[in-house]
Amino acid sequence: MPESTKTIPSARTGSEVPVQAGLFNYPLTDGGRPALKGNRCSLCGKSFFPKRAVCPECFVSGVMEDIELERQGVIYASTVVRVSSPAGIKAPYAYGYVDLPASRLRVFALFTGADPGSFVPGGKVEMVLEPIGTDAEGKTVIGYKFRPVSG
Amino acid sequence: MTLMRDVYIIGAGMTQFGKHLERSLRDLGREACLLAIQDAGVTPKEIEAGYCGNALAPAIQGETGVGQNVFWEVGICGIPIVNMENACASGSTALREGWMAVAGGFYDAVMIVGVEKAVMPKGTMLNVGAGELETKLGEVFPGYFAAIAQKHMERFGTTREQMAQVSVKNHIHGSLNPYAQFQKKFTVEDVLNSPMIADPLTLYSCCPNSDGAAALILCSKEKARRANGKAIRIAASVLTTGTYENQRDITNWDVEIRAAQQAYKMASLGPEDLNVVEVHDAFTICEIIHYEGLGLCPLGEGGRLIEEGATELGGKIPVNPSGGLLSKGHPVGASGVAQVVEIVWHLRGQAGGRQVQGARVGLADMMGGNKEGDTRACTVHILVKE
Repeated sequence: MPESTKTIPSARTGSEVPVQAGLFNYPLTDGGRPALKGNRCSLCGKSFFPKRAVCPECFVSGVMEDIELERQGVIYASTVVRVSSPAGIKAPYAYGYVDLPASRLRVFALFTGADPGSFVPGGKVEMVLEPIGTDAEGKTVIGYKFRPVSG
Repeated sequence: MTLMRDVYIIGAGMTQFGKHLERSLRDLGREACLLAIQDAGVTPKEIEAGYCGNALAPAIQGETGVGQNVFWEVGICGIPIVNMENACASGSTALREGWMAVAGGFYDAVMIVGVEKAVMPKGTMLNVGAGELETKLGEVFPGYFAAIAQKHMERFGTTREQMAQVSVKNHIHGSLNPYAQFQKKFTVEDVLNSPMIADPLTLYSCCPNSDGAAALILCSKEKARRANGKAIRIAASVLTTGTYENQRDITNWDVEIRAAQQAYKMASLGPEDLNVVEVHDAFTICEIIHYEGLGLCPLGEGGRLIEEGATELGGKIPVNPSGGLLSKGHPVGASGVAQVVEIVWHLRGQAGGRQVQGARVGLADMMGGNKEGDTRACTVHILVKE
């Protein structure tokens, strides 16, 4: 499968909204690759996703640097949920925690693109942007998920 | 610390937990408060401050200021009253605040109430934490604990059968508790074959949403002398929060390990001194991890502890003789108070058919809320019969 931009339907119509501001660039500009946006404290090196205004360790202002998280990671823990979520996601669906070693971060994420039971610890996955539901105004909510690494 | 006074529980009471569809928060809270007042043999005018634990009334009933409403039902007014919200640890946080106030010499007698109406229409789920990113992305409570269970299984070889045994044990205990929501026993097969909620947690691996209330009266040593030997000393009261360490090991809660160590130090006791324990078994895996966090067994051996029968009534260290959240029910803001009511009854020898014989030291452990894969609040209380 080519880059996951393929999974994003008509991104510039204004009928779509990111699940939360600042997590990723959306809509993507032509040729842009989706990436999660975090930041890092330049004093202690600790990184954060979502971004933090102040490093809780150093508590010095003006030292946070924006970073882009790597797209591929490894599943740390997972489960398959058999009840629909109040956020409007139909069961069954899989989610868990994905380790991103280069960023030294672990992120919570839904899994997509394969049988829910196939996402087990150690599995390699990559980030995609996908619709996750509809908001109160009828707009499609775009979130990030992880799918098996192709090939 | 050395300036603190000893604090005693002289009154304890609770409603039956379960579905109380026709009853209000005030009605449930009043029943629990009246029982505690009668038990203590005090008058409402002797209460100098009130602390109310409630987590969900603003979200479910659209009601705020529940503490003032409930305390006024029993004639308590004109004194400091505080509403406490700390998720599942709301009630135990209220207890902790009341304990601090008496220990610090501010008051000689205070009242704690935990009250909740959390029963939801069939097929709906509590929509709490809706502002959290994880919830917006699709996380549900059972799923978080299921992922923890998966990791515990992978790392320590904990089995589905061991987790199911927690539910079986707690329902046996609950069948002996007239205050419990469920009076029905299950087999390991029943638990494993009930509908899957989030793998590996099945329906009977999850606690229900419940209605109910529980209340306590705390006082100074001088006032406790009037209680005819019924007073139980609070030997330790600890509240702490998570560290939200991003890449922490999710097979245990360091917040709980820290809270337990602080509590043992404060009480000058250790896990080997405990006779009866109540823990936050919102899901079966939680109880197994609490065994480890409280030091009832080494890390990773919680599954073995339940399998050996050590934590059932008659075992080495009975855990959740009340039936726990799984069987007694979980009216969120009331549960932390009800745990301590149960321990008080055991230490006084008033626990009926589920009595732990000769119990002198008990512990109650409560956790509340998830944040970034960690726990928001954890309380540990140790009670001693002198």
